Parts: sequence; structure tokens; C-alpha cells
Amino acid sequence: MLSVKGLRANVGENEILKGLDLEVGPGEIHAIMGPNGSGKSTFSHVLSGREGYEVTAGSVTFEGRNLLELEPEERAHLGVFLAFQYPVELPGVNNTYFLKAALNSIRKARGESELDAVSFLRLIKEKLKILHLDDSLLKRAVNAGFSGGEKKRNEIFQMALLEPKLAILDETDSGLDIDALRVVADGVNALRSPERSMIVVTHYQRLLDYIEPDRVHVLAKGRIIRSGGKELALELEEKGYGWVLEQGQAA
Amino acid sequence: MNGAAPTGFETWLAARADGEVGAGLDWLEVQRRNALQQVRDQGVPGTKQEAWRYTSVKRLLEQGFARVEDAVTALQIDDIEELLIPDLDSHRVVMVNGRYTPSLSLLGDLPKGVRVTGLRALLASDPDALRERLNGVAGESQPLFAALNTAGLDDGLVILMDRGAILERPIELIHLSVGMDEPRVAQPRHVVSLADGAQATLIERYVSLGESLYCTNSMLELSLGRDAVLKHDRIQVESPNAFHITGLYLSQDAGSRYVGVNIGLGAAWARTDLVTRFSGEHAECDLQGLYLAGDRQLMDYHIDVDHAVPACSSRETFKGILYGKGRAVFDGRVVVAKDAQKTDAAMSNKNLMLSENAEVDTKPQLEINADDVKCSHGTTVGQIEPEKLFYLRSRGISAPLARRMLCLGFAEEIIDALYSDALREAVSEEVGRRLETAPLT
Ligand SMILES: Nc1ncnc2c1ncn2[C@@H]1O[C@H](COP(=O)(O)OP(=O)(O)OP(=O)(O)O)[C@@H](O)[C@H]1O
Ligand SMILES: [Mg+2]
Repeated sequence: MLSVKGLRANVGENEILKGLDLEVGPGEIHAIMGPNGSGKSTFSHVLSGREGYEVTAGSVTFEGRNLLELEPEERAHLGVFLAFQYPVELPGVNNTYFLKAALNSIRKARGESELDAVSFLRLIKEKLKILHLDDSLLKRAVNAGFSGGEKKRNEIFQMALLEPKLAILDETDSGLDIDALRVVADGVNALRSPERSMIVVTHYQRLLDYIEPDRVHVLAKGRIIRSGGKELALELEEKGYGWVLEQGQAA
Repeated sequence: MNGAAPTGFETWLAARADGEVGAGLDWLEVQRRNALQQVRDQGVPGTKQEAWRYTSVKRLLEQGFARVEDAVTALQIDDIEELLIPDLDSHRVVMVNGRYTPSLSLLGDLPKGVRVTGLRALLASDPDALRERLNGVAGESQPLFAALNTAGLDDGLVILMDRGAILERPIELIHLSVGMDEPRVAQPRHVVSLADGAQATLIERYVSLGESLYCTNSMLELSLGRDAVLKHDRIQVESPNAFHITGLYLSQDAGSRYVGVNIGLGAAWARTDLVTRFSGEHAECDLQGLYLAGDRQLMDYHIDVDHAVPACSSRETFKGILYGKGRAVFDGRVVVAKDAQKTDAAMSNKNLMLSENAEVDTKPQLEINADDVKCSHGTTVGQIEPEKLFYLRSRGISAPLARRMLCLGFAEEIIDALYSDALREAVSEEVGRRLETAPLT
């Protein structure tokens, strides 16, 4: 489904991703862990097409398409979704209007009919329930003045609505209280399906108790230096990154 | 008019075949002569004058506008159907090329103590009602375009409200400009006078049929008595070839409240002067504005707020979206007199630049002569933030739609202050429509 080979990317003069390889199959959940500043968000951004990164080598193929040559919206139309580590506030842009524009843009690009107001609202209400979100959030501006936890839940809410094929969750668990973490994890699990893959970036083993990954990778200094099963996360929790980093250097 | 104005504006004041309105009223003759003299004395404004530093009237003069002659009588209500806002329930007054047009107006029943009429009609039937009011707010000494308006006085809307009178429904003035064989200038003159405690909403809409070339030099004199409340929305959506001038003169007595929203979307060249003077304490003046300036468009705003007495508050909140080679000027001035303690004034001007070729001159000024006051001002000139754009695009929204959504988001605060949902929707739609075709370079 997603195949990343030898990916190198710069921000300005600095090389941040230094030959990253990753294969994600359909329906799989991959966790990416790694120290601060190792390039996890950079990788998420490069996948979703954010400007400001220069890819100098390697390839990213999604369902046979070269993702790197597509605009961000075209990637979204193919089913790529990024839950932002820091969701952006859009004062003055009404949340409902935004959600409708997003959903209908994607439907249109896929040759589906746009949803009318009534079916849209019905759909929204259904998804809100899954994430225990108050529908007053719909009347407000996108993320504007939302609490940290509300912003994160709003990201997963958008994911539930847009039903992507590849969801990249960048530290969606950071800043969530214990109950909210549960709710978000339930939301993510509800979306698990044989056709939907996920990349879950996290610093904490706790999330992975709820969302069981198929694979766990350690990203350090712009490369995946170690991969394993879910037990790798437990090991990291126990020992920290020191030992993998040393091994990585030795390798 | 005897003796032309030797300034390039003489065609604006050419004698009318049917004579001047209110001819024979001595006081009016004096005012007209006085105004004409001021037009002559001032000559053509140049960029050396502070009020015209950023704006040249050259383009305006080149058009050689001639004074409108006859009233346009051929229009039927069907012709203006598309200009109406269906869900806006109002007392409707329609003016065409500066003339009150009863056949297109629909005033309906007015409550007791409220008079809504044409200036021309009132000068014929009850001129004394206007005697103290014409030039009563603007004063005797007027800047060029106000003086031109006074010298060429012809028709306009008059709203007179008695003490405590309350209008439930808004008065909607639709000023329609229809292109003529040659470029014409109309100079409507509106007078709104609310006695103590009166309350009203006035919605002014300047619109046009087609893309014709014309000029409108409108002038308003508004006076609010003690505790009077006026909500005043002005929406200018005109031909891309139009020239538009507004001089709004407002006087507020103690405890009165004025909330004005100025939406400027149309015209090739638009100049707006908003002049407010407080004459009693605890009055509030809230001036908001949204302007769009695209290719070959100029939007020029001058605001003058005079805190002559203590304890009044004023807000000036203007936002602009510029694209193509659009140009805008925001020149805001708040003066706080020596005795005007407890003044509360805040002025802000924010501009969103969609292209590198657009240009804005923004100059908010506070002149504070009292010490116990709360005053602030701020301006910003910025672009669409890339993070915001990316956030929307990452959700599948195309770049052009995303930009439009962000622009409307920027404008939302001002649009939100309009009178009703129907009006808000109409304005949002028009803003969206204009941005859809906006060149983004
Ligand atoms: N726009 C930028 N300009 C300069 N440096 C940048 C930019 N974006 C990222 N970097 C640098 O790239 C490195 C990787 O950053 P990135 O945000 O990808 O880390 P991360 O793994 O997501 O960290 P965290 O766990 O703290 O979220 C950091 O050193 C960061 O400072
Ligand atoms: Mg990060």
C-alpha cells in the first residue's frame, strides 16, 4: 500500500530525513517512535505534501502512485490523511462549513455525488457520538480557542468523517487526559479495517496498549534504525532510546 | 448655476434645464453660493494636501463627468428584481442616478413620528424641516467633494424621527446607477435625524446595472439625539468602472449609539470620508469596514473621530483584502480633546495581501490631549499563512477554495456585524464571487 524507499529530505540546508525506508501493507498499523527532533513530523509532512521540504532522493509510492508529485489535496483525494501534531486554528472559518467542504471536495474528486445538507448533518452527528464530542464545536471556528484535547479529538473526528485509506497520526495522544486517550483510541479502532492502514507516531507505550500495532519502528536521526513487533515498544519504554541508538550506530 | 467652477469640476455643476431644486429659498441659495465659493477656492486637490497624499483625482477628472439631467423613468420593478435581497424585510427606498424614484420604492406603513421622504419633495412641501438640518452636521466649511455636493444639491433621502420613535424594520436605501450615453455624476444628499431616544436601522446599498461608467458623490448628514440608536450598514457593490465618493458626517449627543458597517466591494475608484463628532458624554461610535481592492481598483478611507467631550467610546475596525494590482488607503485619525477624560478609543486596520503587486497605505493616528484615557491603535499587513492553507488542502480542499475560505474567515468578523442573516449571506456570496476570479499574483 505505502512504500517508502531511501527517502532523503532537506529543510533549507539541513538534511532531516537521511534514507528512510518503510513498507506498510493494507490494513496494517505501524507505530513510529523516536527521540524529539528525529524527523517524525517531517516524515508525516513529506507524506502529506507540505511545502518547505526538498526531497533529494528516494521514492514514496502509494497504491502504485508516486505521491511526491501530487499536490496535498490530490493526496487527500487518494485517501491520505494527516492528524496534525499541532492542529491549526482557523479563526472565522466555520467548522461545519469546513468539514462539508472537505468531504464534498473528496467525494467530487472521486466521482461521487456531493452530500446535501441533511445527509451531511446526519453523518456528522453519527461521527460526533463516536468521539464523544459536543456538537457545539460544529458552530465554532475550526480549532479556534479549542483546548489541546479538543483539537486532537477534532483531528480524529475529521478522520472518521473523511474515512482515509492511509491515516498518519502524529502524536495524537500527546496532551490527552486518560479518558480522552481512551475515546481517541476507540475512535481509531472503530476505523480499523482490512483496507485502512495507519502510521501512528507516538512517544508513549500507553497508546499502543489501546491501538495494537502490527509493527513498531524506531526513527532516529532521519532513519528507521530498528523495527520489531509490539514488544519493541515495551522494551523502549523500559530501557529508553539509548540502547537502540548504540546498536544503530554499531550496525 | 451662475459662473462655472474653474477647477475641472465645472461640468459637475452645469445648470439644469429645469432649474435648481428649492430655487427661491433664500437660506438654501446662500448655502449653495457659499459651497460654490469653496469649490472654487479649493481647486483640484493635489498630493501635497494631507487628505490626498496617497490618492490622485486625476483619473476621476479625466472622465469628464457631466451632471445627471433627467430622472430615469423607464425602469420597472422587474428590472431591479435581481438587485433585491429576497429575505430582507424593509421599508424600501429606491433612488436612480441620484433621484428618489417612488415607483420603485415600497415604503409601507411607517410608525408614528417617523418621516421618510425625498429631499426634493420635502424642499417643496416643508422646507423649514430642512433649514437647520442641511449642513447642520457637516458645517459651513466643507472639503471639496462635500462642497460640490452642497453646491449641486438635488435630491436624496430624508429620515426624520421624533423623540422616542422606534422603527422595527430597517429602512433600505437602494441607490441604483444606470449608465447613460455619456459619463454622468449624481450627487445624492441624505439627511438622517434621530431625536432623543429614537431608534432605527438604515441599510444603504449602492448598486448598478451592468458595467457602466459613472460617478456617485454621495453625502450624508446624520445626527443622533440623546440616547438615540442608529444601526447603519452601507454596502457598495458597483460597476467595476464606477467612481464612488462618500462623505458621511455624524454628530452624536450624550448616550447615543452608532454602529456602522461599511462594505466596499465595487467601483474602480472609491473614496470614503467618515467624520464623527461627539457632543455629549457616554456616546458610543462603532465604525467597521471591509474592503476588497483588485486590479485597477482603489479603495480610499479617511476616518476622523473627534472626541470633543469626555467619556465617549469609539471603535474603528477596518479590514481589507487586496489582490491583483489593487490599492487601498486607510487614513484614520482620532483626536481626543484636552477635557475629554475617560475617552475609550481603539482603532485597527488589518490587510490581507493576496498578491505582490497590491499596495496599501495605512496610517492610523491618535492625537491625545487628555491624560486619563484608554486609546490604542494597530495595523497589520500580511499574507495568507502557509500553515493554514496546507491544513485545508491536506483535507482535500483545492488551493483556490482554501484561499477563498481563509479570506472569508478573515472578513467574517466584519460581515458578522451586518444587520441580518440575509444581508450577511448576500455579502459573503458577493465577496466569494469576487475572490473566485481574483488573480493571485
Ligand atoms: N521548518 C524547519 N526549519 C528548520 N528546521 C526544521 C524545520 N522543520 C523541522 N526542522 C528540524 O528538523 C528536525 C526534525 O524535526 P521534526 O519536527 O520532524 O521532529 P520530530 O521527530 O517530530 O520531533 P518531536 O518528537 O519533538 O515532535 C528538528 O531538528 C527540527 O528542528
Ligand atoms: Mg513531531
